[in-house]
Amino acid sequence: MSDDYNILTTRGLTMQFGGVTAVDNVDFNLREGELRCLLGPNGAGKSTFFKCLTGQLTPTKGTVTFAGQEITGALTHKIVNLGVGIKTQVPNVFDGVSAYENVRLSARRKHLAPLARELTHATLERCGITHLAKREVGLLSHGQRQLVELAMVLAGEPKLILLDEPAAGMTGDERDRLAQLVLESARSAAVVVVEHDMAFIRQIAKFVTVFNRGAIFREAMIEDIMQDREVQEIYLGKQANAA
Amino acid sequence: MEKSVIRDPGFYVMVGIGLAVMFIAPVMLDLFTIMQFTQYVVLSVFALSLGYIWGFGGILSFGQAAFFGLGAYTFAVASINMGSTTIPMVLAFIIPTIFGAALGYFMFYGRLSDVYLGVVTLVVALIFWKLINHTAGPEYSIGKARLGGFNGIPSIPTLHIPGDTGAWLDPAQMFQVFMAILIIIYIALRFLIASDFGRVSIGIRENETRASLLGYDVRLQKVIVFAIGGGIAGLAGAMWATYQSFIDPNSVSMEMSAKALVWVMAGGVGTLAGPIIGCILLQWLTLKLGTVDVVNSIAVLGAIMMVLVLALPKGIVPTAKMLAMNGWTLWNRRPNRDAVTRKAVKHE
Repeated sequence: MSDDYNILTTRGLTMQFGGVTAVDNVDFNLREGELRCLLGPNGAGKSTFFKCLTGQLTPTKGTVTFAGQEITGALTHKIVNLGVGIKTQVPNVFDGVSAYENVRLSARRKHLAPLARELTHATLERCGITHLAKREVGLLSHGQRQLVELAMVLAGEPKLILLDEPAAGMTGDERDRLAQLVLESARSAAVVVVEHDMAFIRQIAKFVTVFNRGAIFREAMIEDIMQDREVQEIYLGKQANAA
Repeated sequence: MEKSVIRDPGFYVMVGIGLAVMFIAPVMLDLFTIMQFTQYVVLSVFALSLGYIWGFGGILSFGQAAFFGLGAYTFAVASINMGSTTIPMVLAFIIPTIFGAALGYFMFYGRLSDVYLGVVTLVVALIFWKLINHTAGPEYSIGKARLGGFNGIPSIPTLHIPGDTGAWLDPAQMFQVFMAILIIIYIALRFLIASDFGRVSIGIRENETRASLLGYDVRLQKVIVFAIGGGIAGLAGAMWATYQSFIDPNSVSMEMSAKALVWVMAGGVGTLAGPIIGCILLQWLTLKLGTVDVVNSIAVLGAIMMVLVLALPKGIVPTAKMLAMNGWTLWNRRPNRDAVTRKAVKHE
């Protein structure tokens, strides 16, 4: 696989906290416009991996290359300005202000005020939260906050979208809309999704990477992953058998 | 959608009250009261400086008096040397701004957490205080101005009309000029907070991680906010120096920093009217309590502070606003409810 088509590459990425190795020598490739799902049990190092990609953590070893540029340990806002958007596991939103203002601040980063306003309205509409525009985000439900954060990510028009457990706390309807949104976004950007919700994964997944104990355990199509005995053992277990 | 300044009735109320006081007070009140009021105005500007960086930038400074004192000493030294007060007034804004930017650079680019930020600002103010206290000898002079150590600098020139060093302002005129400065700073801060720059600051206050995940440089933003706050505090210091025509290290003391924190906390963090009202109210109380011999005024102030924190944790202004809003909705509902009950009665 040539690196030319890869929007994101990591080589030997390692993150240690004292004696604990949270991410262990990960070689990860993502092609432009690809939609990838990241699976793995709790503590497998998925969120830490994301934090290394966005500069929230500086990896102990290894390199991260985004769109041909090495960004290992660069400052978060610089990485983001290159075109990376992330929805974090615990929603990071501006609680004290309205949903509209949250999204507008994201849109305003790249665009002048009038265009930012239009983009904000369009993004709120796209995420189906126009009715929440004037509400204070701190008072919304977990699922609604997730959608607000997603809208913030999308309004930044990133080339690479990282979504850490986006479906958590969502109702069935919200989750279906989210799946639609993710598929739609994958047409204009590369997307990596971490999720435990199997119903959601089935709606969107094609190629899947499974993490275990900080390392890549398996990379295959979703059908093969679902059949994989070892994967079932480490993680899917009863959920997959029941399905 | 966030309300713009021009559509906020509170903004007009504040500016209106300010203008009314500015023009009516000198006509209605005696000289002593006017001078008392002038003191409140100066300290309100100081309170605003902390109210801005704390409430709208999430920067909790325990040493805001460092800037106040720096501005006061800058003005004193410059005006004694130059004989004029116009340029020293400008310098008293610029030098603390630059100092704020430099200090902010090391704190925010060094990624200090909030706790250490508090410690550093506190220690910087303490160092200033120590330093100035040790400048008693005649060898500590800048030009014609002797720093005077703990004795302070006396005979600082009174404010005059720009360009005419002979045209001193009388106390009433000085009060009006200071009111004008307070009003201008209030308006400027309101517009700054409503601008995109201000909105990003609020975003940083709400969630620093998200602000940087949207691509905003949190460090730079905070340095600018901190520097602006420093400049305003410095300007207040200069006003203080020229109003008293005397300045001593007390202007940099812990007590000064603490007072600002108390005013902002009592008035309401996250508002601009709050720090002003908190400052005036508590200063007035201190003055009144000072005349009572039976109880220690500081102990009473402490008790009042505790009651305020327990009863109005959000501060005076936000609580008053909430009560007013609730009252308004109740008032609006009343006729409708009456109409409904009347209808119900008719049906029977």
